[in-house]
Amino acid sequence: MGMDRPPTGHDVELAALAAAGDRRAYGELVRRHGSAVRGLLRRLGADSATADDLAQDAFITGFEQVAEFRGEGAFGAWIKKIAARLYLKKVKREARLIFSDTVESVEEITVRDASGDTAAASRIDLDEALKTLSRGERLCVSLCYGADWSHAEAAEALNIPIGTVKSHVKRGLDKLRAKLARPEEGTRREARG
Amino acid sequence: MAEPDFEAQLSRMFCETPSFPDAALFNAEVASKLDRGWAMRRLFIGLAGTAAGLFAAFQILSSRFSSEISQLSRNSGHNLQTEIDAGVAKFNGMLTGGPASGEALWLAAGLAVLALAFAVTRAVEDL
Repeated sequence: MGMDRPPTGHDVELAALAAAGDRRAYGELVRRHGSAVRGLLRRLGADSATADDLAQDAFITGFEQVAEFRGEGAFGAWIKKIAARLYLKKVKREARLIFSDTVESVEEITVRDASGDTAAASRIDLDEALKTLSRGERLCVSLCYGADWSHAEAAEALNIPIGTVKSHVKRGLDKLRAKLARPEEGTRREARG
Repeated sequence: MAEPDFEAQLSRMFCETPSFPDAALFNAEVASKLDRGWAMRRLFIGLAGTAAGLFAAFQILSSRFSSEISQLSRNSGHNLQTEIDAGVAKFNGMLTGGPASGEALWLAAGLAVLALAFAVTRAVEDL
């Protein structure tokens, strides 16, 4: 069995095979989407070990529910939603999800970065930029842009008003724009000089 | 950068799948968990089937026994103790000497053992 070629085909076909009990077909889906789910959970704020555990749980849950996946959307988005729900459930259970309006301002983050070395700041990427967001901002931005949730879906899952989700997303985007634009600006300045 | 441009750029960045050096190990762990879950499910179904079979056999036998008791109690002229003794004797007879009931009991027990053995074998194979 180990020497057999892995199943091929579109995600929807593999999901249909998995729904009929074909674990090898589902294994191929895990191979295709495992890293994306692990990455999303990290971006939502989970540490590496927790992210991997939850990603595994998400795929196990996905296998149990794969008959419900009809291929209306992408399988990747579907399994990411499951993973995100599991993560939210975990943080809620641990009472670590605190949505406070007293979030760090962009200025506070800028001051913190200014003390760091400039070469490191120029290498900043999305993952690093996300770390500068408050927990609420990070969750809302990652859910809406990483897991393709609507503001309404995020509000329902987080049990907060939709307006709060929108304001977290807005503040998060402002901070990310400031962080991610900085290396480009530096490059432009160098080009001009 | 305009808002829609930045949002599109952000969506693209989120879509970029990070690469993990232990991706193969992760896939193997998920596969292993799936296999374990599948084996446990089969074992559970086998045990549930066995329990249900035994319960059904017991119900069949006990209903025959209670019908015998009620029939006996309808007969007047005998005292209750004699009736019960006769009922118990008949029940014992059903278990040992009765042609249909004894067969049913042994058949049910045999099927239950077969189902359990099948479930255990498959579970062990999967593990």
